[in-house]
Amino acid sequence: MTAATQTAILPPRRRQRFADSMRVVLSSRVAVVGLVIVLFWVVVAIGAPVFTKYDPSKDQDYKALDQAPSAQHFLGTDHLGRDVWSRVAYGARTILLLGPLSVAVAFLIGMALGLPAGYYGGWLDEVIMRLLDALMAFPTILLYMIIISALGASPVNVVIAISVGGAPGIARLVRALTLDIRTREYVSAAKLRGDSAARIMAREILPNCRGPLIVDFLLRVGYAAFYIGTLGFLGLGLPPPTPDWGGMVQEGHARMMANPWPVLAATGAIVTLVIGLNLFADGLREETMRYQ
Amino acid sequence: MALYIIRRLLTLLLTMIIVSIVVFAVVEIAPGNVARNILGAYATPEQEKSMENQLGLDRPVTARYINWLLGSDWQARGAMGMPVREIVVEQGTQARYRQWWAVDEQGNLVQWKIAGQDLVKLIRQADGSVLEVPDNEAWKEGPDGEQFFWGVDTGNRIAKWVKGQGGVEYRLEYSGWIETAGSPVDYIPLSKGLVRGDMGLSLQYKRPVADVIGRRIQNSLTLAMLAFLVAIPVGVLLGLLAGLNGGKKLDRVLTLGGLVTAATPDFAAGIFLVMIFAMWLKILPGATVYTDASSVLSKPSMLVLPVLTASLVEVGYILRITRASVLEVMSAAYVRTAILKGLPRRKMVFGHVLRNSLMAPVTVIMLHVNWLIGGLVVVEAVFGFPGLGNFILNAALYKDVFAIEAGAMVLVVLAVVSQLVADIIYSYLNPRIRYS
Repeated sequence: MTAATQTAILPPRRRQRFADSMRVVLSSRVAVVGLVIVLFWVVVAIGAPVFTKYDPSKDQDYKALDQAPSAQHFLGTDHLGRDVWSRVAYGARTILLLGPLSVAVAFLIGMALGLPAGYYGGWLDEVIMRLLDALMAFPTILLYMIIISALGASPVNVVIAISVGGAPGIARLVRALTLDIRTREYVSAAKLRGDSAARIMAREILPNCRGPLIVDFLLRVGYAAFYIGTLGFLGLGLPPPTPDWGGMVQEGHARMMANPWPVLAATGAIVTLVIGLNLFADGLREETMRYQ
Repeated sequence: MALYIIRRLLTLLLTMIIVSIVVFAVVEIAPGNVARNILGAYATPEQEKSMENQLGLDRPVTARYINWLLGSDWQARGAMGMPVREIVVEQGTQARYRQWWAVDEQGNLVQWKIAGQDLVKLIRQADGSVLEVPDNEAWKEGPDGEQFFWGVDTGNRIAKWVKGQGGVEYRLEYSGWIETAGSPVDYIPLSKGLVRGDMGLSLQYKRPVADVIGRRIQNSLTLAMLAFLVAIPVGVLLGLLAGLNGGKKLDRVLTLGGLVTAATPDFAAGIFLVMIFAMWLKILPGATVYTDASSVLSKPSMLVLPVLTASLVEVGYILRITRASVLEVMSAAYVRTAILKGLPRRKMVFGHVLRNSLMAPVTVIMLHVNWLIGGLVVVEAVFGFPGLGNFILNAALYKDVFAIEAGAMVLVVLAVVSQLVADIIYSYLNPRIRYS
């Protein structure tokens, strides 16, 4: 078989798999509603320059501070005369980029800890689990607070904090799945034919954890958006003037009586995105559970 | 059972040791200079170095960790040949100061200072006054022929003076920099250590953390209790309603409502509530303001919105869990039997469904303590509530390192202990649990 025919054969199969997974999503009304909300924000984030007339940080109109919504400023302006809609739209980029990124990093750490712990067991498992227990003893927000307070507020540090906070839970899940899968026959077969432990973990165990891990990933993206917003609100998110929803709430919170619009818009944005992500992940989870 | 509790306590001890290492490592070894955080960007390198020396920050990491956790007072005897003691000095009714003194052979409390070239011994009298005596015989001969002396200075530190080569000590007081020549060349700050209740000095309040934190722990616990008292009955009740009407319209509305409230970040819920009740309807205060001494319970109207916010997220969560559990029990064989034998619906619900379907929510609520505590931090920030969470947040924003460390440790201890208590209560409630 030549390379040309191979590429010709592959796409339909991939399309088939895509169609299968779409059917799972579409069969849950909750998941569809969630997906629509999330897609709305994704479109806003990607098309932010098209949908907005002003720069989110640089366009400060000192003649139009704290304005209510109008034809010029669709969601009003904030205390520096910046267009609230622009800041919300560009803020979607921040949260939609940092959320999945930090969960992906958390998954890498979690898998690196959970796979060997579950596969080898014994003292390695014991050590890793005790370490994770200690990390899980922290209330999540507290862990984020001390990490960001120590490292300083920046996008990279937000990713570090959220991935360190999320990794223990993922590691536990991966470990539990590994404990189950390593007793399967195909793992014994791989051992018998002399595959290395690393290869078994990567090629036999990991692909078979896929289902629960994907659902967990989606749920965690929801949590990550939740926490990125919260960190911004606490003043530990992205340094100003980066457009960041949580940060907008933080800036506007004290002056809410004078001008509720920036706070209302940013809070609404966070709530809809987080709820959308949750509905999507939740609907998907129920649907996959029905299949099992 | 006793064995189970003992084993849990031992694991808990191990967990707390790791937690303390993590907290210490993240806060103190992280990039960024503690002294610079305290002094601000305009301090000179000399001032920074002096500050580090005074705080003991130039000592090795392990020594600092041990001093922080276990204290340094028991090391004093090794350095200066006499024990030290901490006393509390009261001035008026409000001000309390903690002072460290050495105890000499006669049982006197003594400190030392340098006046010109002379070492002066300060002897504390019974009435609190201080007698100054020259003490130049105390100088000891070092290996290089230098004259040195280890003693307790007036700033709660063990200090090493070297005759003729005084260091320059910089202190940042409210009035500005104070520069003292002829000061000690090395310091070990005195403390009892975290495990003995000494949480160090808050750089922000310039008072011991322990004095500031007690009331705040109390306030936070009050808030948490009230939130639980509201959230559990409401959540369980709504969950039961949804579960018993499984699949009907009421169920769908409640489930969606639960999902939405559980997914709404605490601060967003808080802000919406403030907008509705404080700004629009103007019936409740949107922030909490207390004078220092008054209890949080003295102004109940101020507690309404914080409690409501803290419980809202929990209500959604408890509702969903209870609903799922009720649905599961409803499909169990014994419920079908009860229906088939013609038991009235009310009897069936209260006799069979209720008890069996409450197990799951109880477990989940108890596993959720950590989350509730995290939510409290945010709720306290929204309303400016004088609790532990707000304290830690302010410390984190101000980089008040000792306050962050102490606050974080207290919060983790609270979380871990309530978790343990919850587990033990749970094992009583559910005898099927095996203690292994």
